Amino acid sequence: MTPAFEKLQKHLKQLPGLGYRSSERIALHLLVEKPAQLPALVTALEEAARAVRRCTRCGNLAETELCAICADERRDRSVVCVVEHVPDLVAIERSGAYRGSYHVLHGKLSPIHGVGPDELNLAALRARMESGEVGELILALSNDVEGEATCHYLTEHLPASAGSAVKVTRIGFGLPSGGGVLYADSVTLKSALEGRRSYS
Amino acid sequence: MRLAKLTLHHFRNVGFAALECRGRQQFLVGANGQGKTNLLEAAGFLTALRSFRNADNKLLVTHTQHTAAMTCVLEHERRGETHVTIKVRHESKELWCDQARVTKLADYLGQFPTVVFSSQDLQLVRGSPAGRRRWLDLTLAAMDAGYLRALQTYSRALAERNALLKAGRAVDAELAAFEQTLAPAAAQLIAGREAGLRTLGALLTAAYAKLCDDAEPASLGYEPNFAEADAESLLVRLEAGRARDLQFRTTLAGPHRDDFHFTVRRTAAKDFASEGQQRSLVLALRLAQAAWFQERSGVRPVLLCDDVLGELDPARRRRFWSAIDPESQVIATGTSLPDAELGAWQVFEVADGAVTEKVNA
Ligand SMILES: [Zn+2]
Repeated sequence: MTPAFEKLQKHLKQLPGLGYRSSERIALHLLVEKPAQLPALVTALEEAARAVRRCTRCGNLAETELCAICADERRDRSVVCVVEHVPDLVAIERSGAYRGSYHVLHGKLSPIHGVGPDELNLAALRARMESGEVGELILALSNDVEGEATCHYLTEHLPASAGSAVKVTRIGFGLPSGGGVLYADSVTLKSALEGRRSYS
Repeated sequence: MRLAKLTLHHFRNVGFAALECRGRQQFLVGANGQGKTNLLEAAGFLTALRSFRNADNKLLVTHTQHTAAMTCVLEHERRGETHVTIKVRHESKELWCDQARVTKLADYLGQFPTVVFSSQDLQLVRGSPAGRRRWLDLTLAAMDAGYLRALQTYSRALAERNALLKAGRAVDAELAAFEQTLAPAAAQLIAGREAGLRTLGALLTAAYAKLCDDAEPASLGYEPNFAEADAESLLVRLEAGRARDLQFRTTLAGPHRDDFHFTVRRTAAKDFASEGQQRSLVLALRLAQAAWFQERSGVRPVLLCDDVLGELDPARRRRFWSAIDPESQVIATGTSLPDAELGAWQVFEVADGAVTEKVNA
């Protein structure tokens, strides 16, 4: 192997889900087996890095100020579904049962992993609550210790909408214990959303 | 439950062994250090995927190999004939049950009960609280899936709270978020331990009376670290303890500091009982564990006696034998064969990790 090859492999190995063998295979594939595809991949990476960012309102992936969901006038902005990660949002969208808006925290409280409130996308959520547009908050966080703690934290430390009390509900009780939204199928998610319970 | 067949590959010093068990009494005989206990350890591994000697995975795999494997054929009261395969590697364990992979602790813990009688059990009376808690937690978790869940939740929430305290940047709001989960789990553990020790204590009293002719009543007593037992008061206690916890950078109080003690004639056995009484107490505790398991689950545990028969004088040995459920399978080890009055054994000789059945023993 060459120094440049090893440098590439080292970077690939840091990607989630890739070990030594798989990073080696990908590096060989890109450089030796299918080098013709490489420029397109490099361009796509550069373009995506330039274009994709977090939606300033909800934290979802966006290419403009707002993501497609926040920009959609038909979505109900008074209902906000709080999720840990973007794939959770995608899973709920796929269930087709939800017409409200989202808020992506990009994580959950876990001191073991060094994640505190400052590491979560909370400031934007606080701003939305303070604006008074939020009437209901649906917490769709995972059904484990960290998900629970994050729910407790949110209910205790988010400002109520000006004037009216925000209704807080929780889904996840029908979800597999210890699992997240991502691992539930569409039918489970749909019934979890419909059967959400008020939470305090 | 009856262990009908046990096959081992690369388990400690045992390169390969296959035991076909007939009937309910197997005796493994051999000099010390030949591998008798390793075979019992393998059979005991079935219950909670851990060694009763608390050995690390690495020690279980023959040192020139990557994987130790054991296959058991079981006759099980609820499941019928069951094939279980366990693979142990340095960093992982795998369990297969009738060709299906089992990944969740809750799905196998307590399914295949064994109860080990070992001379190391004396540590349950004399040793540290941590050893007693580990025994109690495993016993209760094997019996009650709700207890296992509470234990897992408690350990995780405690680790998160301690991480906050350790980082020294603990904020009340974050501590409170984890205490909300910690307190109800703690309440569940306290209630489970309280009820479990009461039942086990009654069974131990009965077993001890059978082991010792003199009518000295023996019992178990719970020593909860928190006197309060409901989630509300526990939450208040945790909140009140924050300042001190922050100073010590760890959660000082809670069920993770619980203990229990043995008593004979109402006095603490740890300090006052004779060695003979202490030995009888741990035998009675194991008998209580086996009886409770059978009562609760309808599955009779396999009794694994590591050198225990040889350590008892003939009178105590006879009484111990009569206290054992005669329907249970007993797999025992020793340096010499037990007296004829303990019945007819199927005998295996163990030498340098090799096992051979001794015919016409
Ligand atoms: Zn958005």
